[in-house]
Amino acid sequence: MDVEIIELSDDNARFVLTGVNPAIANGLRKSMLSEVPTMAIDYINIYDNTSVLFDEQIGLRMGLIPIITDLDSYVLSEDCDCNDEGCTKCQLTLTLSAEGPVMVYSGDIQSSDPNVSVADEKVPIVELKERQKLVLEAVAKLGTGRKHVKYQAGVACGYKNVPVITFQDTCDACGKCVDECPKEILRIDGDKVTVTDPLKCILCRLCVDACDIKAISLEEDDSSFIFTAESDGSYPAKELIVQSADTIIEKAKLLNEILESIE
Amino acid sequence: MIPVRCFTCGKVISSLWQDFEKRVAELEDPGKVLDDLGVERYCCRRMLLTHIKLLDTFAPYQ
Amino acid sequence: MAYLCTRCKHSVEIDYEVMGIRCPYCGHRILIKERPTLIKKVEAV
Repeated sequence: MDVEIIELSDDNARFVLTGVNPAIANGLRKSMLSEVPTMAIDYINIYDNTSVLFDEQIGLRMGLIPIITDLDSYVLSEDCDCNDEGCTKCQLTLTLSAEGPVMVYSGDIQSSDPNVSVADEKVPIVELKERQKLVLEAVAKLGTGRKHVKYQAGVACGYKNVPVITFQDTCDACGKCVDECPKEILRIDGDKVTVTDPLKCILCRLCVDACDIKAISLEEDDSSFIFTAESDGSYPAKELIVQSADTIIEKAKLLNEILESIE
Repeated sequence: MIPVRCFTCGKVISSLWQDFEKRVAELEDPGKVLDDLGVERYCCRRMLLTHIKLLDTFAPYQ
Repeated sequence: MAYLCTRCKHSVEIDYEVMGIRCPYCGHRILIKERPTLIKKVEAV
């Protein structure tokens, strides 16, 4: 297995994974989407709400705000010693109080833990007009994307196979494929056509169709994958990928233990 | 209010709304503003492009 | 149960069996139910 990073920033990652079978690649993708524990608001206690939005709408908006996840100090409520009763190891309490006229942002939410706060401070929650008031307390918990999208740290995680574009010797460099390519990655180089950046190819096969003499073949490399992963802010993109691989390892270990206990 | 996340992919787009609204009001090309804000996918782009602000319409009847 | 008259903004206690839905101060017939003071738990979904 080999990893080549194309692009890596705080909330975005693109890398080529080679030498694995599709099952592993798909496992990694699914793990990023639905298995990585992520912090999100579970329920809110509303003390006062005279804004134009209903309590339930405020609840939904609060739930979708990404919160920085700290797996070192929090555990999933199912795995906590307190039997899902709610303690400082599995719950985080946040408070919000605002009085109009003001625009309430996610940055106005006060966290009880100084190390954990909202990941995006500019999410508008509701605009309060004159004499409108919003006072609430929110309880955030860890969860996985399997349960609800608000616990899904990976946004638009996916992969495609690495395209292999080959030109036969019969190619006469007519340039039809060059004109057809929507990503403009083909170029005439003397008497033959070359591919400038095969990773940009979207496997549309327009070049194959455009060629009158069938000199282009486009195949997919079944053992290498171009991954795209985006984080919603609860994790840095790198952490998200590492964490998703860790969850797979943990699950495999558990499976192994079960199989051994059967023998 | 603008939805917090994109309905389709889940990207947090609401934090870009005020910037987007302000720049479009200054007669910038909406498509270019979206490119500039880093909104790549068309699912997220439609969230900002097609949003209609209703809060001010409701406010007087509260 | 306290209601709020939309015209005179008075908080009113009404007995609808005696006088119907009507504000005893100004006679206005549109009343709003006030938000109870208890804490409301809402699931963030």
